[in-house]
Amino acid sequence: MVERKEQELLLQEASRKQLLRGQIDRREFLSRSLVAGLGMAGVGVAAKYGIGSALAQDRPLTPTFYDWIENLHPGIPAINEGFPDLNYQIAPVQGFGIERFVAEAKNGESTWDVYVGQTPFVEMTSLVEADVIEPWDDYIPAEVLDDMIPAIRDECTIDGKLYSWPFFLDVAGQGWHSGLTTTAGLPDSAPETWDDYLANAQAVIDSGAAPFGATFDAHGWRCVAPMAHSMSKDVYTPEGLFDFTSEPAIEALILMKKIMAVANPDILLAGATDGGVNGTPDEVAFAAQRVGYITKYFNAPLRMAQYWDEPTQLHLGPLPKFKGGEGSTVFWTTGSALFKHGQNKEKAAEYIKALTYDPRIWKDSIAGTETSHPGQLPPYKSIYAEWDANPPDWMLPFVALVRAQLDKAKAIENNLFGLSQFQIGQPLWQAYLTGEVEDPKVAMQNVMDAVKAERDRG
Amino acid sequence: MQRPHTSATARHLKDNLGTWVFLLPTLLFFVGYQVYPIFRVVWISFTNYEFLSNDPAQWVGFGNYVEALNDPLMWDSLWRAAYFTMMFLPGTIIFPMILAILVDRVQQPKLQTLYRIVLLIPALIPSTLVFVLWKWMYNYQVGPINYLLVDVFGIFTYQNAPQWLGGTALTLPSIAVMEVWWGLGYHAIFFLAGLAAIPKEMIEAARLDGANEWKVFWHITLPRLAPIMMILVVLRFGTSMAVIDEYLIFGGFNRASPTYTWTMFMYDQAFNIGLWRQGFAAAIGMIGAVVMIFFVGILLYIFRPRG
Repeated sequence: MVERKEQELLLQEASRKQLLRGQIDRREFLSRSLVAGLGMAGVGVAAKYGIGSALAQDRPLTPTFYDWIENLHPGIPAINEGFPDLNYQIAPVQGFGIERFVAEAKNGESTWDVYVGQTPFVEMTSLVEADVIEPWDDYIPAEVLDDMIPAIRDECTIDGKLYSWPFFLDVAGQGWHSGLTTTAGLPDSAPETWDDYLANAQAVIDSGAAPFGATFDAHGWRCVAPMAHSMSKDVYTPEGLFDFTSEPAIEALILMKKIMAVANPDILLAGATDGGVNGTPDEVAFAAQRVGYITKYFNAPLRMAQYWDEPTQLHLGPLPKFKGGEGSTVFWTTGSALFKHGQNKEKAAEYIKALTYDPRIWKDSIAGTETSHPGQLPPYKSIYAEWDANPPDWMLPFVALVRAQLDKAKAIENNLFGLSQFQIGQPLWQAYLTGEVEDPKVAMQNVMDAVKAERDRG
Repeated sequence: MQRPHTSATARHLKDNLGTWVFLLPTLLFFVGYQVYPIFRVVWISFTNYEFLSNDPAQWVGFGNYVEALNDPLMWDSLWRAAYFTMMFLPGTIIFPMILAILVDRVQQPKLQTLYRIVLLIPALIPSTLVFVLWKWMYNYQVGPINYLLVDVFGIFTYQNAPQWLGGTALTLPSIAVMEVWWGLGYHAIFFLAGLAAIPKEMIEAARLDGANEWKVFWHITLPRLAPIMMILVVLRFGTSMAVIDEYLIFGGFNRASPTYTWTMFMYDQAFNIGLWRQGFAAAIGMIGAVVMIFFVGILLYIFRPRG
């Protein structure tokens, strides 16, 4: 009897919420209430009026997060407390794996409503192609859309539709250990050109301040792409593939070989986590204070400096540029994808808006917490404007630097091979770095041929 | 003429009905969990099935097999798996056997139990923890192995210290060492069970007849451990040829890495590249499976019971 009463209340509550959301009118609401009031005998009738589907839609909002997001941003649970019914979950996406999402979509269902952890160039095109996600345009408030930094909005858009609601911004730049560079007698400022950068790195070694001068992450989207962008952003084919045979890409490869001469010898090895993608040798060398300079997205040196005796010795600057180059770099955001077969879509938009605008997230990210210092930044113009107008006491200089870089930076173009083109190409351009191939143009042509061959398979 | 036969069959079925009822759950599990997936993969391997595409799969005959067999990466990746197996398999047989023989000689019961427990400890550690532990051990810059080689003994410098993992020539031997260590105690237990089955009188009689330790080992112990060796060789051949977790963790998707074996090639095609060509990936998997079955047959012949 108690169970029956609870069922009636649930049905009524479900209808009430649908009424409030405007999904049913008052007449239908009254009809359902009447039917539900008949008790369980009326449930069969109720189904006719759609109460069954109302109940099915009444699961709590169920977002799922890539686990690193919670690890780097421990303030998220506090924000979740503002959403008492939230069914917060960690996503089964180790190593960017989206197979579970795709498999569910093929059955026309989704365990979750929204996925927080999508990086557009990595998996957004795949999720769109597989019909797993839908655009946010019908749910995102217009003022939020207008508030996005234009370059970020472009990154998250395919065919004019916003498929990723951006959250965390990462921009590639340079960092240096001022303790080591000062010992080497270098000025405490960012080298402006790659030639200066290499000369400084050599000076670090020559002075004995550290065994290695400079380092980089050998994954192409973290080295070839940003270094090429520092010369020119015009490095994409009409279909959106990275043009490895372009002059900026070849110059980037030559530059990498020069940096390798002053770098930690394990620089080309795979990383320790996420299928070799993270926990890379450059991070280990920088964390161990064995290298003066690093080029990477800013949150990496910020995280590594936490292992230093004196983390304030970390200084950050824009990516150096080639003489006469554009001085651009690469950025990407990690954001939220809306599952086509998920539920609670309006609620999801409400939640993501609250999450992405919450000042606690940004304070923790920029100033750091006891457990992490991700240094990832917001995607909205209004937040930066507010900081400019009333600088918080916890604000750090690198934020303005990153924001300024963003006006020149470009995201890697969205493509089905957005990430894998760099994985396919890596061993082939590394043949030049290791001396197996003498001509960088030949190495990069081999990369382009291999990527196109993979694209044309089947 | 048919009636007696039919009634005999019916009687046979009736008599064995209970047996079939008891077998049914296992049969259902076997068919649903083993037979169906195998046939499903075989079917997929003859289609152009792409996981990310919503287009229906088309029959392509042996197209995927021809493409795979003409791809040098297929042969390179099979060779890499075989190379790892050649390093791993002897180590996983010889060392545990020697260890088991040594432990078997311990007469003190408490000490014998202690040795067995210690031997089993690595096998009880979860795989993730083992990988994390060895990744740290092998780390170029902060790992204890290179710390000893560079900082303590000064055999190498930071410029030329060995790069154990991450796609170098040392990667597969390094992983093989880890795997042998991990399975040492577990495999030794197999041999200890085999040693326990050898009658002590036989060894004593041999010694009375003047056989030395080597002759006892060669003529008595080794032949009687052959069935254990056969089981281990066949089981471990399968696991070592089909390793993937370790390669995903230690090597990633770098196609030039020794860890990019046929299982990685298959995984890369099925879950990473383009529209995820699972038809092609299934063909790669079937080719790998056929190669493995062929060599398992050879191993079974080599280790067949004799006399």
